[in-house]
Amino acid sequence: MRTPLAWLRDYVDLPAETQAIVEKLAMLGFPVEAVDSPPPLSGIVAGKLAKVEKHPNADRLFVCSVDIGAQKPLTIATAATNVAQGQVVPVATIGAQLAGGLKIEPRTMRGIASEGMLVSANELGLEADWFEDGIMQLDPQTPLGSDVVKLFGLDQDVLEVEVTSNRVDAMSMLGLARELAAAFGTSVREPDSAVDYAAGGEFSVEIESPDCKRFVAQRVSNVQVRTAKTALRVRLALAGQRPISNVVDISNFVMLETGQPLHFYDYERLAGRRLIVRDARDGERVKTLDGIDYTLAPRMLVIADEQETQCLAGLKGAAASEVGPATREIAIEAANFTGARVRRMGSELALRSDASARHEKALPLALTDVGAARAARLLVDEGATVYAPHGFGQAAPAPPIVALRKREVRRLLGYELESAEIARILESLGFSVRESAVAHDGVFEVEVPLWRSDVTIEADLVEEIARLAGYDRVVAAIPPTGQQAIASEAYEMQRRVAETLAMLGYREVATLALQPASVHQRWGTNAVEIANPLSEDQHYMRFSLIPALLQLRQDKIFEIGDVFGDAGEIVEKTHAAFVRRTTAPQAQSWSDEQFVALKADAIAFVRRATGRLPDVRAAKHHGWHPGICAELTLDGNTIAIAGALDPRLGVQFETDGRVHVAQVDLAALPAPVVPRYRAPSRYPSLSRDLALVVDLGVSAQQIETVIGGAVDGLARTIRAFDEYHGPQVGAGKKSLAVRIVMQRDDATMTDAEADTAIEKILGALKSELGATLRSG
Amino acid sequence: MALHDQLSALAAELASALTSASDERALEELRIAYLGRSGKITEIRRGIGKLPPDERPTAGKSINDAVAGLEAQFAAAQQGIELRKLDAELERTLDVTLWNVPAPLGSFHPIRKTIDDACTYFVRHGFAVLLGPEVDTTRHNFDALNIPPDHPAREGFDSFYLRPDLLLRPHTSPMQIRAMEAYPPPIAIVVPGKCYRRDAVDARHLYQFNQIEGLQVGEGIHFGHLRGMLTGMCRELFGPRQEVRFRPSFFPFTEPSAEIDTTCPGCGGGGESCRTCGGSGWIEIGGSGMVHPNVLRAVGYDPDVVSGWAFGCGIERLAMVRYDIGDIREFIWNEPSFLEQLA
Ligand SMILES: [Zn+2]
Repeated sequence: MRTPLAWLRDYVDLPAETQAIVEKLAMLGFPVEAVDSPPPLSGIVAGKLAKVEKHPNADRLFVCSVDIGAQKPLTIATAATNVAQGQVVPVATIGAQLAGGLKIEPRTMRGIASEGMLVSANELGLEADWFEDGIMQLDPQTPLGSDVVKLFGLDQDVLEVEVTSNRVDAMSMLGLARELAAAFGTSVREPDSAVDYAAGGEFSVEIESPDCKRFVAQRVSNVQVRTAKTALRVRLALAGQRPISNVVDISNFVMLETGQPLHFYDYERLAGRRLIVRDARDGERVKTLDGIDYTLAPRMLVIADEQETQCLAGLKGAAASEVGPATREIAIEAANFTGARVRRMGSELALRSDASARHEKALPLALTDVGAARAARLLVDEGATVYAPHGFGQAAPAPPIVALRKREVRRLLGYELESAEIARILESLGFSVRESAVAHDGVFEVEVPLWRSDVTIEADLVEEIARLAGYDRVVAAIPPTGQQAIASEAYEMQRRVAETLAMLGYREVATLALQPASVHQRWGTNAVEIANPLSEDQHYMRFSLIPALLQLRQDKIFEIGDVFGDAGEIVEKTHAAFVRRTTAPQAQSWSDEQFVALKADAIAFVRRATGRLPDVRAAKHHGWHPGICAELTLDGNTIAIAGALDPRLGVQFETDGRVHVAQVDLAALPAPVVPRYRAPSRYPSLSRDLALVVDLGVSAQQIETVIGGAVDGLARTIRAFDEYHGPQVGAGKKSLAVRIVMQRDDATMTDAEADTAIEKILGALKSELGATLRSG
Repeated sequence: MALHDQLSALAAELASALTSASDERALEELRIAYLGRSGKITEIRRGIGKLPPDERPTAGKSINDAVAGLEAQFAAAQQGIELRKLDAELERTLDVTLWNVPAPLGSFHPIRKTIDDACTYFVRHGFAVLLGPEVDTTRHNFDALNIPPDHPAREGFDSFYLRPDLLLRPHTSPMQIRAMEAYPPPIAIVVPGKCYRRDAVDARHLYQFNQIEGLQVGEGIHFGHLRGMLTGMCRELFGPRQEVRFRPSFFPFTEPSAEIDTTCPGCGGGGESCRTCGGSGWIEIGGSGMVHPNVLRAVGYDPDVVSGWAFGCGIERLAMVRYDIGDIREFIWNEPSFLEQLA
């Protein structure tokens, strides 16, 4: 909220230093986002144009005799066209400094020595379009010679204050003034709302919707619409509101001052001279004050006369009953609507206003009466006749009483506060406090002021106390934690997985989880759709980590993250994926060093992550090369998939090189077991190599399994280490070299024993896999 | 020639031959020529057969002695070669300043490192680390957190929806509800994880980011404990002189509520034209407060018996300050130079 310090100081005495105010606001919970400092201004006084004459030598210039309360009037020439005798205007005297860096020096304009300059609002640092076109006009009563800058606070900073959504009361000058008064230990000067109401002024409002909770209506006659007083115009302008006329400005002024939005209707333009709060009719049209046409629906709440909508509730008034120069009589609306309804209406109509920003939050009902009374007073000051207000709908409830146990302050904040301090703090914020003696425990009965609708429970009061006592008084302490009942296993597994991949030399990356449709389309799958994407690039959830990794075109990277599938229900899984990429050419069609390297990583990965060595079997999975894809399994369950990327996807995703990918579903990883140490045998081992010929379909793993089974426990390592395809072994066959290392724990293995074992192995290989020894 | 002379001549001959044997291969050739199966010693041994039987033992011994002598010569020559090789090796000089490039390390992403370091602190103090789903219900994300439909604060969470009641979590706070519904008090957890909000991407915003949530509920848990734990976390992440201060704020699920500031690590709190903190000496790292009684009630805890605190911090924000990163998009660009520097 734009908060001119000049305006705040109307209600509370504040330090001169803006920084002190800014720091105090921040520690109260109202961070200041920006401080707008005015341009340096000096030497500008109020002057009356005692005489205005045409310049003898220039058609477009006037020569004014200006009374600035000094003995001798100043002679000032001006090119402005809006000057007239009797006006009181800001006058820059010789030596004055104006906005934009202009410094006033004596000069001669077409033969006339000009002793200063008449000043426009823009030259005072105000918005040019919001004031007179030409020289700014001051109130006729302004003391001549008075310092215009000081008088209107044009040297004061304007703060942009952030107000949290619960503190609608602080979206007003009075609200912030109350906070600062409490913090600086001073008090607020409440504005004057006393009015002698005129007799009569009946007015009827029918409330047809429960979303209008209260409506204070008030008639005002003898209205004279004109330019508002300077002080009011300047305050509104500094707060970012365009001044319009004395009457309209009063409604804005009261909203910014008290927080209660008001709407003024031209009473004589209300059909039937009454108002009805109702749901809009379907298709009903309305033109608002800013000239925009809206088509309405019954979801929207309006205030109508007997014929048509005159106001979109809480948002904006209609042009039909706009207060204008000819307005003689007005009706004041100070209403309270259901915030949610105003918010939904605003977002549907794409219409927001300063009024709706307040209505959307929980405005207190009692504020309607406060706002109406203050407006009445200001209108009376403008010479209008104000009739007594009429309240419709719910009466404002009595101020709630919240019980506060003193020990609750200590329980939540962790430090002790004296009863007197608690009471002092609450009272400084406008709460009324009564301490009742209940047994051994102090209990305060706290009456909440009408504007603090956010305070409803004990904890709210504790926050008020903490805020004013200062959050710095909270003493840092290390809390007790007992035996931890909650396991951290998912996190620990993820950490272990990341650690293992890093140990294997992979670099972790982080990619975006929202993707365009083109990703799953190219991959050939479907994906979970975002209902309200910001752009097409973020329309779908990732279904796999791999596409984004491919697009990075890096070697040895990994990512751990969640992927999403739609199987009627949304399925979320945590995956790890790791990628090798090379641009080196492929050597042999039946061998693939990159695959072997990736698989070695995958096996090491499973061992480190689970404490166990996996089995490997050939498999087919979408995304992988149909002939180069392995599953790593534990107890028959797939733990990881490792293989070459399907070359067709390589083309689709322009990998520009050979890519090998492994993927792990973290939920499939069994909890790690602690490996058991097996002491090596003290006896020498014997090693035998076999050159076997088998069908192409027989895998190394099958051979190793058969060998292990044939000589139960004797074969300590079995490793197929060389593969050959070619004319020597014939079509449909391949040759595999296998090294078997045999060893006994209890004695030295003899050649004869080894020979027997090899016999058994060859027999088993022959019968189970049709393997023969390669001849020659 | 007498056997004795013959052996002496052989030793002398070898001694001279060894002087020109410069490497192990030459040495091996000489060994074969002298001591090999058909070498000179073998030849001399054959001569023993022609001697009278009573001279043969003496002759045999003389030959064995001579062989020992030759072997000693070979050993000495071997040692000489090895010493020469060492000398040669010691002669070498490299320009050790050439090619100063670190070997590629496997590494963690800086976001994970920051998460891990923060979690480590809490684990050390007996907290559990929980992970939770990124897709969660409106109940967990809002309703149970005291943000009913139409609450103005709900607007602050501009979320991606998959179904009317299912969204990508805009904060890690739904895990407060999941944890408290699953476990009775006392509870002490931290929850790191990804969150999503409908923000346009620029140097300061990503629609996908990480938070760390903290929650402790039990008897006698108060605001001071929150300050203590956050101070500890900040010291773990930024250094031993970090302080934490609170500023009042509003979150529907905490009361009292506070913004968390910590000493700016860029300037050590000195401020003065510091680009990390903008001169204030403090940086804002998240929101926190005492768990709202309505939240405790929503999960079946009794707010009159237990109290608790919760906080949420943006990991990217912490990591940017920690590593002095100016653009949040660096985290998803994955430039090798970026990842390598922070490995
Ligand atoms: Zn700094």
